[in-house]
Amino acid sequence: MSDFRFWHYDGVTAVRRGVLLRRSGDGFLLEEPESGWTGAPVHWSDLTVIGAEGGRSAYGHSAIPGWRMGFSGEAPTEIAAHLPKGERYGRWIDRFGLWPAAGVFTVVAALVVWGALEAPAAIAPLVPLAWENRMGDSMVGDFGGRFCHTPTGDAALRALVEQIDPDHEAREIALANIPMVNAVTLPGGRIILFDGLIQQASSPDEVAGVLGHELGHVRHRDTMTGLIRQLGLSAVLGGAGGDAGGYLNGVLALSYGREAEAAADGVAIDQMRRASISPAATSTFFERLGGKQEGAEARAMTWLSSHPLSTDRRRRFAAAVRPGGGYRPALSQADWKALRASCAADPKVAKFWGRPF
Amino acid sequence: MDQERIGREGFVFEGNWRAYAPIAFTNLLLTIVTLGIYRFWATTRTRRYLWANTRFIDDQLEWTGTGKELFLGFLMVLVLIGGPFLFLQFGAQALILQGHAGIAGLLGLASVVTIFYMVGVARFRALRYRLSRTWWHGIRGGSDNQGFGYGVSYIWKSFVGTLAAGLMIPWSLMSLWNERWNKMSFGPHSFEAAGDHGPTFKRFLLFYLLPILLLIGGTMVAMMRTPEAGSAGPQMAGAILGVIAFVLAFYLGLGLIALAFYAKFFREAVDGLSLAGLNFHFYARTKDWLLLFLGDIALVICTLGIGAIFLQYRHWKFFATHMGATGEIYTDELTQSHTKTSRHGEGLLDALDVGAF
Repeated sequence: MSDFRFWHYDGVTAVRRGVLLRRSGDGFLLEEPESGWTGAPVHWSDLTVIGAEGGRSAYGHSAIPGWRMGFSGEAPTEIAAHLPKGERYGRWIDRFGLWPAAGVFTVVAALVVWGALEAPAAIAPLVPLAWENRMGDSMVGDFGGRFCHTPTGDAALRALVEQIDPDHEAREIALANIPMVNAVTLPGGRIILFDGLIQQASSPDEVAGVLGHELGHVRHRDTMTGLIRQLGLSAVLGGAGGDAGGYLNGVLALSYGREAEAAADGVAIDQMRRASISPAATSTFFERLGGKQEGAEARAMTWLSSHPLSTDRRRRFAAAVRPGGGYRPALSQADWKALRASCAADPKVAKFWGRPF
Repeated sequence: MDQERIGREGFVFEGNWRAYAPIAFTNLLLTIVTLGIYRFWATTRTRRYLWANTRFIDDQLEWTGTGKELFLGFLMVLVLIGGPFLFLQFGAQALILQGHAGIAGLLGLASVVTIFYMVGVARFRALRYRLSRTWWHGIRGGSDNQGFGYGVSYIWKSFVGTLAAGLMIPWSLMSLWNERWNKMSFGPHSFEAAGDHGPTFKRFLLFYLLPILLLIGGTMVAMMRTPEAGSAGPQMAGAILGVIAFVLAFYLGLGLIALAFYAKFFREAVDGLSLAGLNFHFYARTKDWLLLFLGDIALVICTLGIGAIFLQYRHWKFFATHMGATGEIYTDELTQSHTKTSRHGEGLLDALDVGAF
């Protein structure tokens, strides 16, 4: 028997003992010679690792909480052979080693991030339209009473929609009394034009271009994709972002990515060609907005923040103009006037700042 | 026998940052490649090191918590707080848009109160969790209280704290500290917390004095400057500089007062804490706290942020080196704790807390 001293706590009281280890069968007994104290028999397999720090090693007992034995320095080899090995980084990582595990994790992490970015576009078309519609309806309701309605204004909007969206792909296209230069597509195929946009536009052709673009988002279900991406990312990142801010604000600020925007521009150009509306005005509209981007009004131009303007986009609309294309204005002068006056003329419409969202 | 007499040096920190560095860096690596999930195992490794290098009287502390427990705690927080929170967020938005602002307001209030309650319960349970995983001489701490009552106290005492222009805040903080600790135990002994908020009150009043002092100082400076009226340009610049200095002085002063108050509060709170024959003390003065935080800032900035992985180490070291205990403890009377232990860790709270108790 070795005279190597262990320290020991029995887990019942805090009394510290200096003990010798006497082997017996598959395990051992701990004995304190000075006091004649002897502990209960312990199997080698009962031992758990508590820790090894600063040259001190400590072991516990799997069935007796607080039971500890330990030593400083190296244990005698005949005892060390029976002692369990401790965890370092965690059981799974120890099994592979730090660097292989880190490598595997890196690959998995990259796949997860890639999946979170790419999956929404694949999932969105699988969401039943009825769900999306119901979701959009519950989000929007009557938009806080902010939709502008006058008989002539409604007729003008219908006339515009009839040209850009003859197949009625969008479930609803409405005009809201909000003085921001913006237009949004909401879940459920709803497009909302803001009055600020109508006022800022100098011709109905410009509004037709924006409407065609939003129709592109409806056709490709970009809103659903964006929502799924936002939800998915917030889940992956442990809730970060999922709790922040308003949900509707989130939708308003959704950006769909460059490809989706380009595709939506393509839809706008197609629809305008079918309706014999010139894309030239949309191009100048972009140019005008772009020029003002740095001005004080830029803050109000929310459409710009989610639809970054690039010369490419402007040129694309400009290039789509066919000389002698037999274009006609998107709306008659009377209809255009009625549309522009719609929000101001509607006595029942809620003011933008009047009520909380 | 079995009696330990101790002076101020009851707690000794024996770690050093070079020995901790391998833990810190591998933790950082694994946390990054697992998209943050390893964080819980990283915390556990860090605590194992810090506890094992903190000696109380004659033996080191032991941390037996696991990464899995912390991970489970995190998942519980996600379900208990995150779930209802998201639901209310979504629901409230939809309700307001559909014109049920009253119901939405009620639900919103309910969600705020619920989350506030949960934060209180979480604070309590985090302390309980830490004590139940902290061992010394083979004995652990804990509490049989679930902390649900503490959550209620947390709500009403925090509310009372805001009354009378916040003059009740010191009382509210100290009363909650005492309530928390009075329900904790180590081995068979209950903690007794009798912290007095009175001595902290003078420093708390400085919060109210600062704006007045600044106003007087600012007025005097302004009056001294006015007679030498030169051209408008330099005068404008002077005024702007004055405003900037004023704002800086305000925030700097506020931060210093907060530090001074907290230093005093923590000393008073710990001084009021005892366990059987032991009285605890905390010796850090405002200057020490200031140096700690300036050191933190310098460390993080000089290492371009990487030094942040050493903050937990620094904070624990600060805590352990300024902690003291006087009195006596009988190890044969310090028997095993029979408090219940929960299977889950402290949820998100470990991210918010400065590390110590």
